[in-house]
Amino acid sequence: MTSKWTSRLIIGLTLTFLIGPFFIIIFAGMSAGDFMTFPPDGLSLKWYMKVFTVESFRESFALSLFLAIFGTIAALILGVPAAYAISRYNIPYAETIKTVVAAPIIVPGIIVGLALLRYLVVPLSFTVTLALFMAHTALVLPYAVRVVSSSLNNLRSDMEEAAVLLGCSRIGAFMRVVLPNIQSGVLAAFILGFVTSFNQVPVSLFLSGPGVRTLPIDMLSYMEITYDPSVAALSALLALLSVAIVFLAEKFLGFSRYV
Amino acid sequence: MFQNNREGLALALPAALFTAILFLLPVGLLLSEAFKIGGQWSLQGYVDFASKPLNQTVFLRTLKLGFLVALTSAIIGYACAFCIVNLDGKNRGRVFGLVVLPLMISPVARTYAWIVILGRTGIVNDAILALGLSDTPIRILFTETAVFLGLLQLFLPLMIISLVSALENLPKDVIPAARVLGASWIQVFTKIILPLTKDGLVMGGTLVFTGSLTAYITPAILGGSKVLMLETLLYQRVNVANDFVSAGIIATILITMSFGANLLLKRIAKARS
Amino acid sequence: MSNAFVSLQKLSLAYGQTVVVPELNLDIREGELIALLGPSGCGKTTTMRAIAGLMTPQSGKIHIGGVDMTHTPANKRGIGLVFQSYALFPHLTAFENVAFGLRLKKMPVSEIKSRVEEGLNTVGLSHLADRKPAEMSGGQQQRLSLARSLVMEPKVLLLDEPLSNLDARLRLDMRTELQRLQRATGITMIFVTHDQAEALALADRIVLMKDGVIEQVGTPDELYNNPASKFAADFFGFENIFAIKGSNIIGSNGSLTANFDAENGHLAWRPSAISVGSGPFQGTVMGVSFAGEQREYVIKTDFGQIKAANPAADPVYEIGTLVAFDLPSKSAWHLPNVGNDS
Repeated sequence: MTSKWTSRLIIGLTLTFLIGPFFIIIFAGMSAGDFMTFPPDGLSLKWYMKVFTVESFRESFALSLFLAIFGTIAALILGVPAAYAISRYNIPYAETIKTVVAAPIIVPGIIVGLALLRYLVVPLSFTVTLALFMAHTALVLPYAVRVVSSSLNNLRSDMEEAAVLLGCSRIGAFMRVVLPNIQSGVLAAFILGFVTSFNQVPVSLFLSGPGVRTLPIDMLSYMEITYDPSVAALSALLALLSVAIVFLAEKFLGFSRYV
Repeated sequence: MFQNNREGLALALPAALFTAILFLLPVGLLLSEAFKIGGQWSLQGYVDFASKPLNQTVFLRTLKLGFLVALTSAIIGYACAFCIVNLDGKNRGRVFGLVVLPLMISPVARTYAWIVILGRTGIVNDAILALGLSDTPIRILFTETAVFLGLLQLFLPLMIISLVSALENLPKDVIPAARVLGASWIQVFTKIILPLTKDGLVMGGTLVFTGSLTAYITPAILGGSKVLMLETLLYQRVNVANDFVSAGIIATILITMSFGANLLLKRIAKARS
Repeated sequence: MSNAFVSLQKLSLAYGQTVVVPELNLDIREGELIALLGPSGCGKTTTMRAIAGLMTPQSGKIHIGGVDMTHTPANKRGIGLVFQSYALFPHLTAFENVAFGLRLKKMPVSEIKSRVEEGLNTVGLSHLADRKPAEMSGGQQQRLSLARSLVMEPKVLLLDEPLSNLDARLRLDMRTELQRLQRATGITMIFVTHDQAEALALADRIVLMKDGVIEQVGTPDELYNNPASKFAADFFGFENIFAIKGSNIIGSNGSLTANFDAENGHLAWRPSAISVGSGPFQGTVMGVSFAGEQREYVIKTDFGQIKAANPAADPVYEIGTLVAFDLPSKSAWHLPNVGNDS
């Protein structure tokens, strides 16, 4: 029985280390005082309220949301066919294509941001927003391909052949037979992509301009100027939002097996 | 498998071309800048970069922190993953979900919590003062310890996830079999678990090490300019001095080390089997 | 050639650089039930996939119903295929699985309904129309898959290892069911199998394949009793096959002098043709196993190993016993030297 308690202790300590800090920011954001302290000087929800009134937070939240939604959709539009091709066809240079598509995962984001700034935004007058959109699409793409691929690999390809023999075109077979059976994988890819994109920081460090800032960057610069609990409150709100999304995704999709 | 490979290529190419042209090409150009000094191809940039003591310190520190975080998370990861796979189905899912959860939360939020914990008026200092261990608050924030803790919290889940899936794939009953044959727990770990889960360890190790090397937010928030790491150094060089040569060099170092770590770990894994 | 319904002419099939079937010629009559039989890797499934249009031949022609279909896409050939895995659509009900192909034909809804109901009825699944495949047993899934192909009224129905995923009892039911359906519909059926018993029980004609080449084509009787090659003999249960040299037969360890009638080629005996207990030859019992109606022996001799069988009621010879046995000339099957057998 001791091993059972040791095991519980190890899991308990690890989870405290991983998750405990979030409870702390939730409380830190509830401070009634003007500075960050823990335990907070009295309790109030004023900083949680303030977050919604800060103009720059609202704008940067909108930008981050836009990038996360449309960047991920674009990544899926590119990624689903690519995943399908990789899993169903014996394409030439398959390894090269896989490596290229997966590359954004290992290129540090800060370099990506800088590179796009120097070679697309400045010389080719891409707007910062467009560059951000492209960077986010490329960053989400590897996740989209990976998650959708694993869904496809769990789906036997003879189903498509059966559909073709019953009269479907190849595209018809994909729409009628493949897509309905990988939709939870595609949805999981969307959620993973959305969260990855929304939380992405380094890419946007150099890709920001007047009025064009992603939310995490805005939080970083706010922190440099002010040391009030509103960033804690905002962090707590974002954390709760993520928890809600992940909870729903886990409940309906069994999300954690896709991560 | 379908035979029409041209059709397959047509499906895969848009994604590959998008990434290659709009992502990899600009990055490649940036990296190549480090080899050009005054319009000439040269390695002088690297020589200059390597000769600066600050750069040396930052490089070694980044490597050291990456290694320490990877090692620590491997140790905690094995203990924790082993406990998780021994839970029954329902609890296993719940605990696993809680381990995955932090990955979905903004790293800014995750790192920010440490300011509250480690700051001058944070929990740790409150405790130290209350216990009379020191008369004045200790500086923990903006030290390597703070950055280490932040990175560990950020990347430990990746290691646990990799090891849990490796341990789940362990053939059933090998551990009891080894025990029955007289192996001690240490022998069970070194002779059975480690060799059979090394792929998971390599995967987790690469993710954690690479993640720590290329982390920006954690060193920026918890280390500041006192504890620069390669990414924060890069940001500073560009922002303060418009120094794209250094940026290209740091970028090359980071990418090379990420690749190198992966290859090295793979090789170690192969050699042990 | 003129009465061939499915005709494969000089068909060559390859995956990339790997040639699976070098050159294959085969004619199948309308309404025949044909088995493509052979060990795994013999090219039988590849040949079936080529007939279905799921793979393009390197060269050669495929005629179906007198029309050259070599380059007709799979969805325009009008051929049914029952996959080994059944390949049912997991997101659709049994009814919708069967209706899938009919809907693509833009058939009126009322006709689809009656055809699907009839199809489900034929395979005895009317009561499960609203179930999803995952809620059905293996046997039911197989019949559903069959119904899905049959409602399309295919010119040819292909079946990939149709009985391999079923347990012993269901296998017997399904055999009868397939024969019944074939008689009732008159559809030309080609099924792929590695199981000689299955091929013997079901097929009108068997096409035995090895390494992409047809070894022998014939009725079950012909293949069982008159195998044309050493491979065919081995496949159909002649477990004792020996080369003849002069008046000797050659085993793996040596030769046995005896006066057999044949002068060259091979002699083959089924275990049941060799009885233990009396005879001119001697060997040591290495293994005995009880197999219901008979008892099977493995006997070690000076020239090699022999597999023999006695009626189960006969006395038992224990392992290690020295026994006498006979290789009766009259029950030996003679294989003259041909082609690739040596």
